[in-house]
Amino acid sequence: MFNYTFHWNQALKALPQLLDGALVTLQIALLSMVIGLAVAMALTLFRLSGNRILSGFTTAWVEIARNTPALFQIYMAHFGLGSFGIHLSPYTALLVGIAFNNAGYLAENFRGALKAIPETQARAGRSLGMTPLMAFRYIVMPQMLRIAFLPATNQAVWAILMTSLGVTVGMNTDLAGVTQALNAVSFRTFEFFALAAVIYYLIAKAVTLAARLAATRMFRY
Amino acid sequence: MKKTSVLAFGLVAATALTSPAKADKLDDIIASGTLRCAVVLDFPPMGARDESNNPIGFDVDYCNDLAKALGVTAEIVETPFPERIPALMSGRVDVGVASTSDTLERAKTVGMTIPYFAFEMAVTANDKSGVKSFEDMKGKTVGATAGTFEAIALENSVKAWGAGEFRPYQTQADVFLALSQGQIDATVSTSTVAQANVKTGKFPGISVVGKAPYDIDYVALFTNREEYGLINYLNLFINQQVRTGRYKELYEKWVGGDVPDLSVGGVYR
Repeated sequence: MFNYTFHWNQALKALPQLLDGALVTLQIALLSMVIGLAVAMALTLFRLSGNRILSGFTTAWVEIARNTPALFQIYMAHFGLGSFGIHLSPYTALLVGIAFNNAGYLAENFRGALKAIPETQARAGRSLGMTPLMAFRYIVMPQMLRIAFLPATNQAVWAILMTSLGVTVGMNTDLAGVTQALNAVSFRTFEFFALAAVIYYLIAKAVTLAARLAATRMFRY
Repeated sequence: MKKTSVLAFGLVAATALTSPAKADKLDDIIASGTLRCAVVLDFPPMGARDESNNPIGFDVDYCNDLAKALGVTAEIVETPFPERIPALMSGRVDVGVASTSDTLERAKTVGMTIPYFAFEMAVTANDKSGVKSFEDMKGKTVGATAGTFEAIALENSVKAWGAGEFRPYQTQADVFLALSQGQIDATVSTSTVAQANVKTGKFPGISVVGKAPYDIDYVALFTNREEYGLINYLNLFINQQVRTGRYKELYEKWVGGDVPDLSVGGVYR
């Protein structure tokens, strides 16, 4: 049935190109996580602010980010904004799309983490004379970040894998883009995609391990 | 006496079982009664869908003709450009009728027939970009459909110019959408596709500005590399399409104008 002879040597020759692509993939994933975390923090503060408009903004963001496909979000960042004359390059559109998605999910992570922290702690802080912001900053937030840290690494892995959607908006420098280009020239589909899959796996694994190491160092009691 | 005849029968039966006459793909297609063609339906006028979502186009008609010649029914399997080879290798299609350029690099993987169609390359530009010819594309942001002959050629040109940016999009429609929005300044596509897309009016603000100095893009049917029986049949079929005037008829129906010559002077095949 499966009638195909593998030409691994031809595929391995392209390994340096694939690894260059992997660097771009990692870069986008990390940047999108940094932006995502910052935005998620802002969204969480909006929700806690008690201001109806601000918390409504958070709800809307989280709803859209979590309940629409990442492919749609990235496509919108490129072609959707493009139809209004706002032109994001494929790189930026991909970054914006993934960061948008990350922020939505991470804000939900933070919300879950906040629920795990007894409200009495913030009140205890207030009774010691802290302002609400101080109580959040010194008592609640450190615990929240600790609880949310490992779930957030899930999102980091997801961000790495989402970068492969960049090909739909003309991205050709990341791992998926390079793989597609090599495939188009040579038609050696299975070799290049197998190599790409292995590289994706290794990046994802490395990020999870790094996060776990960081967690044991940072969160020592 | 009896023993030997049983033994002889057993031997004959064993040889018959172990070495059956091997049916090749051509046999399989005729036996199954269905010819499954990989066709790109995002590539008018070669492949597209009509208002009621039925596949139409030159490649679709070509596949139907081939099925008719084989005495089987045609099944059009929609295959985007990058998925042509996986579709063939995983056995989802028998033959690619998908405007596939017959490069030597690709012929290492799949079996190519003689050319069944030929494209000339044209430059289409966004009217605001100031691109008036192929040379003007230097330093601009340009794009093309990933996995096509022109995409590979254009990417090489951008690399040679050392300026500007190349973006491959997954479908022809995305290229023209990006061009119409001004995300890219110009594209190189086959002149038939360029004319067809400009004519639809779905992509305002673009026009065909000239020819691209690339080689004529000969496209071939393809199937598995080792299926000589089928490739042989396909070659003869292509020859007959031209000989009987059907090629010209289909060309006039879908494209119009001068029918491209499918032979190369001064060399066989």
